[in-house]
Amino acid sequence: MLADTWHLFNKYMRITMRMPMWTLFTLIQPLIWLLIFGQLFKDFVQLGDEDYMAFMVPGILVMTVLFGSSWSGVSLLREITAGTVDKMLVSPVSRVAIVLSRVLHSSAQVIAQAFIMLLVAWILGASLNMNPIYLIMAMLIIFLLGVGFAALSNGFAIALQREEPLVMIGNLMTLPLIFFSSALVPEQFMPDWIQLISAANPISYAVDAIRAVLSTSPDLAVFGKGLVVLTIFAGAALAWAVTAFNALRD
Amino acid sequence: MTNLAIQIKGLTKIYPPDNRAVDTLDLEIKEGEIMALLGPNGAGKSTTIRAASTLCGFDEGNVVVSGFDVDTNSLEVRQAIGVVAQQTGIDYFLTGRENMVLQGHLYRMKKADINDRIAELAAYFELDNSIDNLVSTYSGGMRRKLDIACALIHRPKILFLDEPTLGLDIKNRKILWKHIDKLNKEFGLTILLTTHYLEEADSLSHQVAIINNGKVQVVDTPDALKNSIHGDSITVSFDDVGKNEQGFFHYAQQQPYVKGSTWEDNKLHLYVEDGGANVAALMAIAAESQALITNLSLSRPTLDDVFLKYTGSSILETKEEEGDEWWKQWAGKGGNTGKWKSQWGAEDNAEESGEDQSWKNSDWLKEDADGIPGAKKREEAQWQQGAWSKDQQKQWSDKKDDSNPAGEQSSPQWDQSQKGDWQNNKWNKDGGEK
Repeated sequence: MLADTWHLFNKYMRITMRMPMWTLFTLIQPLIWLLIFGQLFKDFVQLGDEDYMAFMVPGILVMTVLFGSSWSGVSLLREITAGTVDKMLVSPVSRVAIVLSRVLHSSAQVIAQAFIMLLVAWILGASLNMNPIYLIMAMLIIFLLGVGFAALSNGFAIALQREEPLVMIGNLMTLPLIFFSSALVPEQFMPDWIQLISAANPISYAVDAIRAVLSTSPDLAVFGKGLVVLTIFAGAALAWAVTAFNALRD
Repeated sequence: MTNLAIQIKGLTKIYPPDNRAVDTLDLEIKEGEIMALLGPNGAGKSTTIRAASTLCGFDEGNVVVSGFDVDTNSLEVRQAIGVVAQQTGIDYFLTGRENMVLQGHLYRMKKADINDRIAELAAYFELDNSIDNLVSTYSGGMRRKLDIACALIHRPKILFLDEPTLGLDIKNRKILWKHIDKLNKEFGLTILLTTHYLEEADSLSHQVAIINNGKVQVVDTPDALKNSIHGDSITVSFDDVGKNEQGFFHYAQQQPYVKGSTWEDNKLHLYVEDGGANVAALMAIAAESQALITNLSLSRPTLDDVFLKYTGSSILETKEEEGDEWWKQWAGKGGNTGKWKSQWGAEDNAEESGEDQSWKNSDWLKEDADGIPGAKKREEAQWQQGAWSKDQQKQWSDKKDDSNPAGEQSSPQWDQSQKGDWQNNKWNKDGGEK
């Protein structure tokens, strides 16, 4: 299974490398958010002595992850249409490997994107903790979040079998979930009902965990909590996607 | 008895709610044989291939491929077969070699073995010079050849080809036939293929199975099938089939030299002993019964006549492939893959001849009045639009009872409305005014 995953992952990476522009294109929107909102809300949001850019960057990173990974299912549908999936299914390749390689590829792509975003934010002068160990910890959270959402997107792709509703769900998964989380606004600013949703939203835990390690005074307890929640989230999403894919045989 | 490469017994595949795509189908293919499955769209050819190649499950029956049961030993079956589906499942952004290497890895082959095999297959299919180019630069014929090469990388004993030459020009088709024939003769490969081309079935295959309504109607060698139709084939076309024409048919049937007949719309196929000599006699009968013949032709029976006899329609008139309709691709389930095709295939086939045609001609668009055949469709399409005025809504509910007996939107209707979407904007602009 691992070898199968590796060979397929390799294929997806090769295709991505041949179209690097696509990876960069998905960065445009988060970049705009970072540049514009970072400036707009700078003086508007009072966060004590904290700088809003530093507060916002983890939120933008999470947004990058969502924009990047929530569309993974669309390309699965394309592959089903093109017959590539059938070609894999008639071979003895592990079914789990097909889903796993897609999800891992999407996460790898998302990590690269998040890294670029982080670099831009740092150049723009956000006061972030750039200690490599903490960076790796942040990337771990980003990876898990990417796995979770890419798996969800693939699972929905198989369940819906159509591109239009999948795109709709992709949209639903990204923006509202970001607003219902602590990505852009601190929790104390939210009305009670949003706080409630936010507490059940894996994105909140991801943002808090990333914020906790990128802060100049890291908080490992918050990171640990996020790590546990996201591991469960990614694991459950992946299990669902694999089950859905196994049922694809009609 | 020679060994059987594929043995299918009582294969039944039901798509909900009650579409029997394949219905107690029996088929046996001997080792080293090429068998062609001929049949109209939705007959169950692709579903049969998908079931035998472990791509889809089935409700009843037993399928043994290369000595293994597809249900219980699917892994062994997969190792023994190569499959070329209708859509080329190769990646356009990889080179030919990368595609083949990946395929080799998926079959757990060793690296050195993969490389040897690529060299061998590339030479065989004359792809040596382009094997390291991106597939997106390949021509249609080259892609198809690469697709077959990929399917052969692990040295399967049985090859499934679903419409292998669909969409290729005649030159490339012939090249591919040569390759397929050689694969069978030189390497003893058993080949099961589906095709729409009679010439392909005729010249390439040892056995032809004609499939209709999910069942095998007849299996035999192409020659035996053609010989089963006695005499020559005389095709008589009429503008309109009225009393006189029926009279002619009745009278002609009673002649001792007329051995069989089939109607196909306004065309009458007569199978006549010594056709050349008897054509004059038939003309005399036509004159006597005052039947208006617009065209008459005399020929040796072809596989098309056999096809016509068993399916009631000429293969030349069946459409190329429903999967090629762009709106079906757009409908998102990928043309011919899996669920989709089989769910819709059979129904589409029935509709396509009549309703669907007028739909495509968009004749109904030109007319304005209600009560014309297009009105129902137009309303169905409107119904999909979402944003429609109260007037329209009322109109709809007034019409609903008589124009849509099913009352609610069952799936095939949904599909029809889909077809309408592409036109919606256009008629909305016109229709909004009135």
